[in-house]
Order: sequence, then structure tokens, then C-alpha cells
Amino acid sequence: MTTLSIPTTSALPSTQLVPSTHPAVHRTLLRLSRQSMISLVLDWLDERNQENTAPYLLSSDDEDNDENDDDLYPPASSLAALREIYTDLQGRKGGKRDVVDRAIEGDWRDGISLYQLAMADMQYLYDHPSSQKWNALKITRLTNDQEKTSPSIPRFHPATFLRNLQQEVLPDVKAHYNLDRHATLPLLILRVFIVESPYNTSLALQSVNQNSILDSNKTFYVAFPDSSPHVFVSATFNAQSSSRGPSSNNKSLRRLILEGIPKAFSKPRERYTLQSTSLSAKNLEALVEKRGGGRTSAAGGGWSVYAEEKHGKDNPLNTQLPTPEASILDDVESNTKEEEKGLKRKREEAHDVVKRRRLVAQGRFGNTAKADDGKGIERLDIRVEDLFPEADAAEEEDLNLDDSARDRNSKRKGRRSSISIELDKAEEDDVQADGWRPDVRITLHGSHVFAGIRDLIEAGIVEGEKMPGWMTGEEGVSLGVVRDGRIRGFKGTGV
Amino acid sequence: MLPSTDDSVLEDTIGAQLDSEIASLKAQVQTLKTQRKTQSTTIISSRTTQTILSRLRASQKTTSTRSSQETDISPLLSTSTAQLAHNQENLYRSCAGITTFRIRDPDPNAVDDGNVLGIRFDVSTSGKFVRPYYVMLNKPWAGKTLLRIHRHTVPSCIPLASLADRYLPHGKGAAAMGDKESGAKRQDLTRFVRALRREIVGYHNRVSVIKGLRKEFKLDEKVSRKGKERERVIADISVADAEAKQVRIEWVDGRIGRAVVDDKGDVKKCVVIGEEGRDREVERRVCAGGMEGIGERLREGIY
Repeated sequence: MTTLSIPTTSALPSTQLVPSTHPAVHRTLLRLSRQSMISLVLDWLDERNQENTAPYLLSSDDEDNDENDDDLYPPASSLAALREIYTDLQGRKGGKRDVVDRAIEGDWRDGISLYQLAMADMQYLYDHPSSQKWNALKITRLTNDQEKTSPSIPRFHPATFLRNLQQEVLPDVKAHYNLDRHATLPLLILRVFIVESPYNTSLALQSVNQNSILDSNKTFYVAFPDSSPHVFVSATFNAQSSSRGPSSNNKSLRRLILEGIPKAFSKPRERYTLQSTSLSAKNLEALVEKRGGGRTSAAGGGWSVYAEEKHGKDNPLNTQLPTPEASILDDVESNTKEEEKGLKRKREEAHDVVKRRRLVAQGRFGNTAKADDGKGIERLDIRVEDLFPEADAAEEEDLNLDDSARDRNSKRKGRRSSISIELDKAEEDDVQADGWRPDVRITLHGSHVFAGIRDLIEAGIVEGEKMPGWMTGEEGVSLGVVRDGRIRGFKGTGV
Repeated sequence: MLPSTDDSVLEDTIGAQLDSEIASLKAQVQTLKTQRKTQSTTIISSRTTQTILSRLRASQKTTSTRSSQETDISPLLSTSTAQLAHNQENLYRSCAGITTFRIRDPDPNAVDDGNVLGIRFDVSTSGKFVRPYYVMLNKPWAGKTLLRIHRHTVPSCIPLASLADRYLPHGKGAAAMGDKESGAKRQDLTRFVRALRREIVGYHNRVSVIKGLRKEFKLDEKVSRKGKERERVIADISVADAEAKQVRIEWVDGRIGRAVVDDKGDVKKCVVIGEEGRDREVERRVCAGGMEGIGERLREGIY
């Protein structure tokens, strides 16, 4: 350990140890389940990670030292032996606390490295995919020259990006960066952990205010989808922390990193900026579908039939006649087992009515917005600015809203401010000319909003043909202003 | 993990056996069904069938009153017509590569009464057609015939936005294709789809060239066939960016190279760097021509 600490501008090293008595260490590790904790420890014991995660082992020179005799967790003599101990624990039943205690008080008694903490946090993120709320932002090129074609996607090189990002961070703030590849999705996740200190040694972690220094508010995540001009940034979740001071402080730290991201992407003669895309969700899978590099990003809702895999059926060399739409549904129908849910109340309804509704829903949503596809967004905020409609149309609209509101248990107060700001921004260049446009705001809330709307169509509560397009989610936004039945500024998602 | 008794193990194995049997039978049914479909389309498209059908059609016209009691051939005739139309469609799709079709926007509030023009791009790479790409255009401005991209399934590694900016401008001073206005920025759908198809084909070609390079240096195969092969020199060749315009080459001795390719597939720039600095000799070799020849030129240098 260095005895001399000089303020520097470099990042915190991954090997930096956090004392294992630190409450944040306990808190971070105890969030994990027993199984993930053990698999995490086994990862720590992997040969390749030894540089950053070496455990406390019995070294040869203190073998005949009596000091360790009354130790609750006697240190193991080798990595292999330790691995055996934890594999043994894996098979046994027990609480997670004994694993955590063993790790903290026994095998890593000297301290947990920042890298280990990062791994633990990532593990928690994978175990609880909806623990973070993500905002999708677009990286666009800053340019005055319209004629010149620009590459649509800035090249992402992790090492260069991190070096540039570190340069953007102020010298009195230190950050620890950890990059990890998502197990199933095409995503690279960067975890940024910020410490307010000019030093990048252990001094940085020795603060008077021990509790606040490893605050989870100072951790945040940036996800980079493969070959896509978007980044997903985790939103600060617990903004209403105890006192006002640190909270606003964290926000400014976060903004600092956020401003650093486009600058880190930029290079001479090629500058980038971040743009909001009005989409935020907890579900990374949904974000990857709407903003990833694939085909589905500009073909949502019913348009998704053009983007999906058809197993060679849309090959021009396929001589077979395409199957008509009505029979496609039969296949789907035989697979779904939601009969008991839909038919409990309306047994009297004819089969062909139900089938027709299914067909309509299929036409509006394609194969998206299924309740079990795991691509749900949990909140949709819409402000309707349509002209006040004629009497009969109004009734119908109200009916729709009431039903969806009751079903989704929607109206929720509070945390309105940021949305209002966003929506008012759109209003600035507004021209009020033709008649009264009432200010109607709708919030749909649930585990999978669009699947809920689809269910309502299939149950006959929402009329499929007359439903406006934004209710299918085909625009790929979670926040928008609807005017003349369409989301404003989205005459086409394409460009 | 409870220890299971012998009985349950036995049942499990029988159950699994039956399950696999059922699955294989189902798969068999599926393949037979597709076979039957293929056979029937082949039969119905064949010339002899067509002549027989046309004769039938002629006879049906004359004796339309009493043909119903024998066999009703009208579904057969309609299937045949549909099949012929489908065949022609396929012919256009596979030979022209760019085809159009009309779509109705399901949104009741859609612009221009929901009229949407769909453009389908069929691109083949290494002997196979890939999934077609679609671009849907509509006319969102009332009273004007300016086109705008409504939806599309083009992945973001293809610069659709900048192509649309260039060939389908819709800002101030833009003119639709039929307009007579002079000096305006005119929309040109034909050039747009051509440029887009060129980009898509270029992308697929670059990807398949890199795949070919990997094959050439046997990077996807398992290593060590008892040293019979010549020793491996290249450790890895991969795509470095989204558009597949940058190729990353790794040598076994630790040198790393990066080559930048242009639209036509020519290598524009290359840097190879090792422990003793840049390797200008190899850089020159890589730069001297198209990307499909990188492998050959590297070999010349090695052996």
C-alpha cells in the first residue's frame, strides 16, 4: 500500500480494497441470494480473477503461527481448497448470512476490492433485471454541414471510451469503472462508481462520513447495445433520499458523467451529443428491441410482422403459397391457454366473435405485446391534445380510458414534475388556433402495458379497429404528446 | 435435490422415451406436410398440369350447367391462378431485388387515409437469400406528394437516415418527384432505393468476406490436429464496428492490425502494430487491393 497520496486525475484501480467492516460491503453482499453469492465467490476464486480478487490464504511462513488457531474461519492453504469449501457450501442448505460472513470475516478479511463490489452489484442487477430504470438516449452527431453523410453509429472502443470519460470527470471526483457483458442480451454494461475524493488510493475511501461514501446512489450504469446509436442510462431511482444536500450532489455527479459520455465518444472533427428518445423502461429486453441494432427498432406493433423471423417462408425461392391470415391465427390459438381467463365471464359470446377480436388484435399488434414475451414497459405517459370531439366519439373515448384505468390501476400521483417538464418543452412552439384542445393526461401503469391493452381488445372492452395507433406501442416511446390521434414528432419512426 | 427412489427413475426414463418418440413423430409429420406442399406446388406449376387445367377451364365454360355433379374443379382452378401469380411474384423478387407493394396502415388516425407504400429488398449472400428488408413510405403532408419513411426494418448499421436526407428531402424547398419546380431539392425514390440496396448488399458482402477470411485461416475450427497443419499465424480476424467497415486482425505473435474498408470493399487504411512498433511491410500488403484479397496477400508474406 502506498504511503504517499497525491491528488491525481486517474481512475480508482480495481484492486483498491474496501475494508470488510464497512457497512456498504455488508449491504451490497447481503442483497444477493445465497446461490448467487456462492457462484460469485466461486468467480472470485477463478484463476483469471486473482489479480483483483485474491483471497486471504495461509502463507507458508506463518504456518506455525499460533495466532490463527482460535480463528472462526481458519484461512485455507490454497485456492483449490477454498474452492472446494464453497462448492461444498453450494450443496448444503443454509442461510445466505453464513456465506457472506465467511467471505467477509474469513477469506477476504483484508478487504473487498472495488472490482469485487462491482461484480456483486452486477450480479444483483442480473438477478433483479427490473431493479434499475433505464432511459434510452440517442447519440447524434453535432454538425453544421448537412450535405456530408455521417456514419450512423459512432464506433465504440471500450478502453478508449473509458480513458476519454475519465478525462471529462473533474479532478476532485474519483470513479471506478467496470465493464461487463450481459449474459443473454447484446449489451455491454458499464458500471460507474463515484467517490468524491481527489485521491485514488485508500485515502479516498477513508472519509469521516463513512455511511455516505459508498452510497448506492453514487453507482450508476450505462448500457451500450451492440451496433446501435443508442445508450441506456440508469435513472437515479431513490432520488428522495433523507437529506437534500447529498441528493442534489449525487444528481450533479450523475450529470457530470452523463455529459462526459458524448464527449468520450467524440474525436477531433467528429463531435457527438446525446438526445432524449422519450423512452424509459425497467425492462432492458424491451429497450433492446426498441432501440437496439436489430430490425425491430422502427417496426413496432403491427408492423413487427415485417421484422420477424419466418423460417424461410418469405424467401423468394419458396414456391409454397403463403397461408392466409385467418388460419395463421388458428395455430396461435391452439398454443395459447388463456381460455379460462377470457371466457369466465363471457361464456355466452359466440366463438367467432372472440376469434374476430383475436384477429383484430393480431392485426394491430402483430406478434408483439404478448403477456409472456418479457418485453413489457411498465409505464406509458401520454398527453392527448386532440380537438374536443363530437358527442358520440367522446363517450367512447371516455369508456376506453375508464376501463384501462380500472384494469391497470393506473392513476398515480407524484413524480409528475419531470414528465411535465418534458411535455411542456414540446408545447413551446405550439400554435393554438383551431378550437378547444383540453389537456388530457393518461398514465397507463402495469407490468406489461401493451399486453394489457391487447388483452382488453381480445376481451372486447377496447374496440380494436378504432383504437388509436399509440396504444399499440408501435412508436416505441413511453412518453409522448398525441395530436390528431398520432404521437407528435413521430410522423414516422424511421428517421 | 431429493434422492429419488427407483420407481420414479424408471417412470422418468419411460416418460422421457415416450416424449422423445412423440417429438420425433411430430417432426416427421411436419416434414411430410411440407413435402406434400412442395410436391403439390410443383405439380400445379408444371406445364402439363397447366395445359390440362386450361382444357378443363374451357370445358367448364361450355358445360357449366352440369359439371357440378361430377367433380367441382373451381377450387383447383383458383389455386392454380394463385400459384401462378405467386410464382411470378417470386420471379420478380428474386431477379429484380426491389419490389413494391401496398399496405394499409391499421391506425385509424393514419395520415393519407392509411395508404402506405411498401418496398421490399431481397438480398442474397453466399448463395442464399437473407430475410428481406422492408421500407414503408407514406405521404404525411396534406396537399403534397412528398414521401417520408414511415416504418422500416433496416438495422441501424445501414445509414438509412443519411440516405433519406439526401434522396428524400422534406424540408424547406423540397419538391416531390412529379413536381415541375426548378431549383428545388427534388425527391428521388429510384435513386434512394438503389443507394439503399447498394448499402445493404455492401454490408452483407463485407460480412461474408470476413467470414471467408476466417475460414481461410481456419479460425473457426478446433486447433491442433497433431501439428500436421501449417502452424497458425493469424489468431483472430473479426469485425470491429457495426457497419463491418473495420477489420481487426490479430497475429499469434501479438501484433494487432486494423484495416478500414470503403464502400467498394477496397482497403483504404491499415495499421499493424506490434511490440517493436509498426509493421509497415504487412500494412502495405493489406492495403494493396480489395478486402477479399487480404488473406491471399497475407499468406504471401508469411510463407
